Amino acid sequence: MIFSNEENSASRFFILSAVFWLVIGMTMGLTGAIEFTAPDMSSGIPQITFSRLRPTHINTVAFGWLSMANIGIALYIIPTLTRSKLFSDKFANFICVVWNLAILGGILCLTNGYTEGREYAELPVPIDVGVLICLLSLSFVVYMTAVNRTVKKLYVSLWYILGAFFWMPIVYFIGNRTFIRLDGLNDGIVNWFYGHNILGMWFTTLGVGIAYYMIPKLTGRPLWSHSLSMLGFWTIAFFYAPTGTHHILQSPVPEWLKALAVVFSVALVIPVITVLTNFFMTMKGNWWQLANNLPLRFVLTGAFFYLVTCLQGPFQATRSINWYLHFTQWVPGHAHAALLGAFTFFNFGAIYYIFPRVTGKQMYSVSLARMHYWFTLIGFFIFYTAFTIAGLVQSAGWHAGVPVSTWVVELQPYWIIRALGGGMMWFGNVLFFVNIFQTNRGVKPLDSPDVEPAMVPVPKN
Amino acid sequence: MNKNYILPALVILTSFSLIIFSTVLLPNFIFKPSPSEFAVKYSPLEASGRKIYIREGCVNCHSQFVRPQDRDFGVHVQAGDYVYETPNLLGTIRTGPDLSNEGGKHPDAWHIAHFKNPRTTTPGSIMPPFSYLKDDEMKALVAYVQSLGKKRLVKYKRIYHPDELEKLLEKRNVNTNGSAEANAGRGIFQQNCATCHGTHGLGNGPNAIQIAKKPANFSRPFFKDYDDVTWYWRVSEGVPGTRMPQWGRLLTSKQIWYLVAYLKTLPRENEVYPKEYETLDPEKWVQQYKISADELNSQKPAMIIETKGPPPSTEGGH
Ligand code: HEC
Ligand code: HEC
Repeated sequence: MIFSNEENSASRFFILSAVFWLVIGMTMGLTGAIEFTAPDMSSGIPQITFSRLRPTHINTVAFGWLSMANIGIALYIIPTLTRSKLFSDKFANFICVVWNLAILGGILCLTNGYTEGREYAELPVPIDVGVLICLLSLSFVVYMTAVNRTVKKLYVSLWYILGAFFWMPIVYFIGNRTFIRLDGLNDGIVNWFYGHNILGMWFTTLGVGIAYYMIPKLTGRPLWSHSLSMLGFWTIAFFYAPTGTHHILQSPVPEWLKALAVVFSVALVIPVITVLTNFFMTMKGNWWQLANNLPLRFVLTGAFFYLVTCLQGPFQATRSINWYLHFTQWVPGHAHAALLGAFTFFNFGAIYYIFPRVTGKQMYSVSLARMHYWFTLIGFFIFYTAFTIAGLVQSAGWHAGVPVSTWVVELQPYWIIRALGGGMMWFGNVLFFVNIFQTNRGVKPLDSPDVEPAMVPVPKN
Repeated sequence: MNKNYILPALVILTSFSLIIFSTVLLPNFIFKPSPSEFAVKYSPLEASGRKIYIREGCVNCHSQFVRPQDRDFGVHVQAGDYVYETPNLLGTIRTGPDLSNEGGKHPDAWHIAHFKNPRTTTPGSIMPPFSYLKDDEMKALVAYVQSLGKKRLVKYKRIYHPDELEKLLEKRNVNTNGSAEANAGRGIFQQNCATCHGTHGLGNGPNAIQIAKKPANFSRPFFKDYDDVTWYWRVSEGVPGTRMPQWGRLLTSKQIWYLVAYLKTLPRENEVYPKEYETLDPEKWVQQYKISADELNSQKPAMIIETKGPPPSTEGGH
């Protein structure tokens, strides 16, 4: 598989690796969550100490799972939308190998304390170089495919995907330029330019692009409005980039930067509304399909969480609300709603649809997939609620002047609930892992194929 | 090449470079704070401690800037304080408290005990144990933590700068190992401190119930590691952000040395940790007070001496 030039083999390789890293990354997250309830668990083992596990978890799920899954899906979507072959599957497969090595190296470095210490940019320099080379080569592959296309018009998903592959290498480079030393606060400003734009210009653009492809595909109805989707694209492109400073809104960075960040963060409501209006209007009259179309259910659940996060986001960025909520568990709750609730669910839906198509094999088990949905969804609700309430308790503590050592005890129940929710999600995703790997091996499907129409592979012509 | 997408591509390019210019490059051109009076240039030991702080990922739970609305974290920060802070450790989450003014809040011995196992100094804490740090790493980390906000402390109406503590010993005129001195200290303790710290120093005096951050329980084992200077400093400086007063302003230095002599004698082999400590139920509070006193007596502490007659020194007393 590794160096094959077979059609879609790169997409398949990326998706498989992503699902593997998903389970690893979630295991780390779950361990971290358990450590909050039993802090002495890590006693004497540096590698699993919470403070090392947390950056490792973030980097594994962000670069291992989410990025690789997005890329895998994009590598399937781009050839279908351009009606041409991927520029080079062989090359993309090779990139995938390098990327996997980078993630593995990253995990080893971070757990063993080799870190740059900037949030979201913790990976040490050699790994950064690897990731950057991968990103650039992928952009090359993607753009060459787009240039060689046989259809004239670029569907909106392609806009998003091409945009993401243009922005991400730049953003990644800026975020990890360690050879240019910046003084304290400037370092923070650039750090958060990167920290936020990896969400805005990479995960959001790819995630939304994927959803724009999946919803019409899964419902069989055309997109409600093409011009609205283009408005969404351009506003994302304009409004996302300056918002990073809202992560350090009360630190002594210049006021004009903070003002810029707040204004643009609030303006992000516009792309969100356009994107979601478009999704939900496309669904108009098709909601019944949710009953038996599992991938669609995943994607729309993702769209729902996208609504939740993207309403939270602009509010949190305003000064008065940030004043109250910043520094608390509310914020990681928000981050999980975006990356896990929204984009991961988009990717689940897309993988259930795409994976049988890239392997040419039937999904191993539809019931496992259904269990995956419910475990992840319910687990996520529990998890997110615990985060949010813990955040509110915490901020009440800060503002009432209650010392940390007191409210840390009060939060104990929420940590436990959070770990339980996380455990459910973890279990659901182990099922997903089993399902995908069994499918890949071509094990005979367990369930009758005509239950979930969208999960049946298209006949090859 | 298809001309259709040249215009959009140009628009993307210019808009994105404009944005990068305004949010990445522009701030670095026009925002160049000069080092403020509080900016700390780290000594080699502190710098290596900072590396350990980064390596252990403390930034994932601790922020390093005081916001205008924060209480109890001391003097507010300004842009110039951060000039030597690369990579930045501003942090975006506070699972633990802000550390920008942490220096000088606790003695080194406290920090070492806390890093080895935070539960020994702060029951219920969820900070992970960093017991695997080697001794020299631990020393460096403590030096770094003590350097945080070091210069801001001076503004904070401190009595002693942490660096000046050793000089105290030269001026000491009390034998802190003598039993007579300890006995004198006991009297002072009962008069001034027992309301909060309890008659046996278990942190369960009647006033403790009303204060959010509970008074110290001197039966905790880590107090064994406090030396005389540390004790003296803790008592006279108080604990910022808690109700512990700055006794240095209220008692003479001789009285504080007597207190030190007494505090050193409190038993700490078996930690007496009142279970109902965190509850706010007064009934239980009183009950528990009795229980722990019994427990304490059964431990046969080294030195609980009947107070008879005046304290040994003519200058002592209050
Ligand atoms: C899981 C999150 C977490 C991590 C990681 C963490 N801490 Fe803490 N820290 C806490 C909490 C919670 C408290 C408050 C309770 C206590 O005092 O233990 C605290 C308290 C402290 C205090 C005492 C503050 C005071 O004045 O009472 C210091 C100093 C400290 N941490 C330093 C560190 C250092 C240094 C590291 C990295 C080696 C670190 N912490 C890692 C959560 C964390
Ligand atoms: C108003 C109540 C109150 C009174 C009176 C009081 N303390 Fe305290 N004391 C506290 C509190 C609260 C703390 C903070 C405990 C902590 O940081 O966890 C404290 C902490 C201390 C500490 C520091 C312990 C450590 O962790 O290093 C010492 C030493 C101490 N007190 C000694 C005394 C002595 C001696 C007296 C009498 C002269 C006294 N206190 C009177 C409330 C009080």
